[in-house]
Amino acid sequence: MPPRRHFLFLLSLGLVAGIACFSSGFDPYYLDLLIMVGVNIILAVSLNLISGHTGQFSLGHAGFMAIGAYLSTLVTVFWSDSLLASANEKLAGFAASPWGQNLLFLLALLTGGLCAAFAGLVVGGPSLRLRGDYLALVTLGFGEIVRVTFQNTETFGGALGMYGLPDHTSFFWVYATVACTLFVIGNLTDSTWGRGFAATRDDEIAAASIGINPTRYKIIAFVVGAFFAGVAGALFAHFKMTIVPTGFDFTRSIEIVVMVILGGMGNTRGVILAAILLTLLPEFLRPIAQYRMVLYALLLIVLMILRPQGLFNFRFSRKKSA
Amino acid sequence: MDTTPPADPRSSAPLLELRRATVRFGGLTAVNAVDLQLFPGGLYGLIGPNGAGKSTLFNLITGLYQPTEGEVLFSGHSLRGQRPHQIARLGIARTFQNIRLFSGLSVFDNVRVACNLHRATAPWHTLLRLRAFQSDEAAITAQVDSLLTLFGLQSFRDHPATSLPYGDQRRLEIVRCLATRPQLLLLDEPAAGMNPAEKLDLIRLIREVRQRFALTILLVEHSMRVVMDVCEHIAVLDHGTKIAEGSPAQIKRNLAVAEAYLGTAAPAIPPEEKSAC
Amino acid sequence: MEQILQQLLNGISLGAIYALIALGYTMVYGVLRFINFAHADVFMVGAFLAFFLGQNLPANSIASTILVLLAAMTGCALLGTLIERLAYRPLRSAPTLNVLITAIGVSLLLEYSGQLFLGANPRTFPPVYPSAQLTLGGVILSGNQLLVIGVTAALVLLLQLVIYQTKIGAAMRAVSLNPDAARLVGINVNAVIAFTFALGSALAGAGGVLYAINYPSIDPLMGLMPGLKAFVCAILGGIGNIPGAALGGLILGLVETFVGGSEASTWKDAVAFGLLILILLFRPAGLLGKPLPEKV
Repeated sequence: MPPRRHFLFLLSLGLVAGIACFSSGFDPYYLDLLIMVGVNIILAVSLNLISGHTGQFSLGHAGFMAIGAYLSTLVTVFWSDSLLASANEKLAGFAASPWGQNLLFLLALLTGGLCAAFAGLVVGGPSLRLRGDYLALVTLGFGEIVRVTFQNTETFGGALGMYGLPDHTSFFWVYATVACTLFVIGNLTDSTWGRGFAATRDDEIAAASIGINPTRYKIIAFVVGAFFAGVAGALFAHFKMTIVPTGFDFTRSIEIVVMVILGGMGNTRGVILAAILLTLLPEFLRPIAQYRMVLYALLLIVLMILRPQGLFNFRFSRKKSA
Repeated sequence: MDTTPPADPRSSAPLLELRRATVRFGGLTAVNAVDLQLFPGGLYGLIGPNGAGKSTLFNLITGLYQPTEGEVLFSGHSLRGQRPHQIARLGIARTFQNIRLFSGLSVFDNVRVACNLHRATAPWHTLLRLRAFQSDEAAITAQVDSLLTLFGLQSFRDHPATSLPYGDQRRLEIVRCLATRPQLLLLDEPAAGMNPAEKLDLIRLIREVRQRFALTILLVEHSMRVVMDVCEHIAVLDHGTKIAEGSPAQIKRNLAVAEAYLGTAAPAIPPEEKSAC
Repeated sequence: MEQILQQLLNGISLGAIYALIALGYTMVYGVLRFINFAHADVFMVGAFLAFFLGQNLPANSIASTILVLLAAMTGCALLGTLIERLAYRPLRSAPTLNVLITAIGVSLLLEYSGQLFLGANPRTFPPVYPSAQLTLGGVILSGNQLLVIGVTAALVLLLQLVIYQTKIGAAMRAVSLNPDAARLVGINVNAVIAFTFALGSALAGAGGVLYAINYPSIDPLMGLMPGLKAFVCAILGGIGNIPGAALGGLILGLVETFVGGSEASTWKDAVAFGLLILILLFRPAGLLGKPLPEKV
C-alpha cells in the first residue's frame, strides 16, 4: 500500500518517456493538440488547488502563466550562452550534448515556476486576508498589470512580444510535468495536512478553532498553484516559440476558470476531463469559434444555477448510494 | 457536591482565568469586567438570558475578539494578541452554537483535519509522501477511527458530515474538538434543539468525555436541566456582568438570578427549560 | 495655481463618473452582499443605447442629451432587473462564490455578445451635447465637465432622497440591515432587491452616457477598466456605504488626474490598484465603513 502512489508516478513517467520515443511519428497536428491538452491540464489542476480545494477565487491565473513564460526566457534566451559556456568549462562538450539542452530547459521551467510562485506570494500575502470576492478583483487587476508591464518592457519585446524562442517543449516535457503536477497536488490535497485546504474553504472560523491558520493555507495554495501555472507558461512559450503579451489576457484566465468549474471545483479528475474537453472542442467546432466566449459565459451561468458541483462531479451521488 | 475537583481553589492554579475582562463594541459593553477562574478538571456552566454576553465571552476566550480591557490568562499566560488558531494550539477547543462542520468533507475527514495539530511530520513530507508521512498518516487514521467508534459515529465514517442527523452533528463537533487533544473544552449550547432523551444522552456524554479525556469543560447552555445536572460550578451573566457564581444549589436559591431571568424579585425558582432551543 | 485648479476640476469630473458607477456596486452589495461583476457591462450597454439613439437625434442640443440620458437610464434599469431576475434570483440561497461566478458569467455574456453583434471595433460617439467652454481666470470649464458634475450631483441628491425620504428607500435600508427580519415585517424582499438593481443600473447607464460624451470612443469592452476602478472607489469609501462611494470616486478621480498630469503619467492606471492594496491592508472596511466582526 505505501509506495502505491510513487509507483504510479514512476510508471506514468516511464510511460510518458516510452510514448515520447514514438512521438516523432505522430501527426504534427495531433501532437500539437496533445501538447496543448497537457499544458491546459497543468493550468486547470493548479487553479483547482487555489479555487476548488481552497475556495479562493482567482481571476489572474494567466498572469502567473505570463510571468513563467517571460522569465523562463531569461535562461533559454538571455543567459543561455553564458550558462552553457560555464558548464563547458567544467565538462567539455557538455553544452552540445542533449543533456546540456535538457538541463537548461529544466532550469528554465524551474525559473519560470519559482518567479510565478514569488509573484503569487507578493499578491496573495496582502489580499488573501480578504473576502473572496475582493480577491477575485485583486487577482483580475494583478493579471492585467502583469500583462501591461510586459507589454511595456522593451527587453521582452514590448507590445510585439518575443519571437524565435528555442523549441524545447516536447511531448515528454509536457507530460512529465503533468505527472509531477498531479503527483504533488494529489499528495498535497489527499493528506491530513492537505485537508486543511478544504477546511479553510468550508469554514475559516471553524478551521481556526482546530488550530489551522487559514491565511497560511490560502497563501500556500496560492503559491503552489502559481508555481505550476508559471511552469505551464514556460512550457507554452517554448512550444509556440513566440510570446505575445495579449495571449495572457483576462480571457485566458477565464478559460482556465471555466475548466475548473465545468470539471467541478475540487474534483481533480473532473477538472482534467474538462481541460481535455475544452482544449479539443474548439478544434472540432471551428466554424463557430467566434461564439466560444459567449458559450463559456452561458456555460458558467447555467452551470451555477443548475449544477454548481460541476459537470463531471459524481462524488455526492456516489456517496449517497454507498 | 463535595466531590467536585475544583472545590478548593488554592489546591492548584487556575487553568483559565479572566481578570476584569471587558469587550466593548462601540458604545455597547457586551462583557463587563468579568472575573472567572476555571480549575483543571472542573465542569463549569455559564448561563444567562439571551444577549447576556455568553457567546461573546466564548469568542473572547477563543481569540475571535480581543479584550477591550482586562486580561484572559490560560495556564498563567496572557492570551492577548493570540489569533484563534494559535489559541487552539495552546489547548482550547470549542464547539459552535450553530454547528460549524466542514460541509465539503466526510465525517472521517472532519475529525482527521483536526489531527493536524499533532502531526509528527512537516508539510515537506506530505508533498513527497515520504515514509515518515505514511506512518504518521496511519497513526492519525487509527486515532480518528477509534474516536469515531467511541462516539458511535463509525457507521457514518464516509458520509458527508452535514448529511448526519442533527444530534450526531453536534456529537461530531465534539469529537472534532477532542482530536485536537485540548485541555479546555468550550461547548456553546450543546443541547440546543435536542429532545429530553437526547439531552440525557448528552449529559452522559459530557461526563464521560471529561472523565476519559481529563478535560476542563465550560459550557454555555439555555437548558437549565442540563446545566443543573451536569455542572459543578455555575456562573451567571446578565447584561455582560457576572451577577452570581456558585454550585447549582446556590444558584437555584439566588434571588439576583431569578430576577435576571424573570424580571422581578419573584420566588427563586429557576425557569426550568426556559427556552426549548 | 491655475494649473492645479484646472487639474482639480478635471479630477472632479472624472471622479464623478467613477462615483456614479461605484454607487451601483455599493447599493447591490448593501442588499445582497456580493459584487455584481456585470455592473460595468451595464455601464457599457448604457453607452451603446445612447449611441444608437444619439445618431438619430439632432446634434449639439441639450434636449437630445437629456433624452439620450433618460433613455439609457431606463434601458439599463430594465436590463439590471432582468439580470437579477434571471441569473441572481435563482441563487438567493447559494454560496457567495456561486453567485460571484454567475456574475462573471453575465459580465462575459454581455461583453462577448456585444462583440459578436456590435463588432469589437471602437465607434465614435455622436456629438449630442453642445461643446462649449467657459474660461474663468485661466481655468477652462468645458461644457462636458459642467454636464458631468451637474448630472452626477443631481443624481446623487436624488438617490439620497429616495433612500432616506421614501418608503421604498426605508425598505432598502431594512433589507440591507437584515433581509430575514425585513421579510417578517412584511417587506417584499425580492421587489426591493429588483428595485435596487434598477436604481443602480440606471446610475451606471447615466455614467455610461457621460463617459461616452467625454471620451467619445465606445466598444463592448469599454466597461472593464472604469468598472474595476469604480469598484476600487466603492471599497475605498467603504463598500455598502453610499456617501463613501461618492467620496471614493472623487478621491480616485483626483489622484488619477494628478498622477496623469505628472511625470509618472504612465502609471496612471496602476494608481487605482495601488490604492486598493493600501486600503485593503490598512483599513479594509474603507474610509467611511465601520469594521464589523463576523458573527459567530
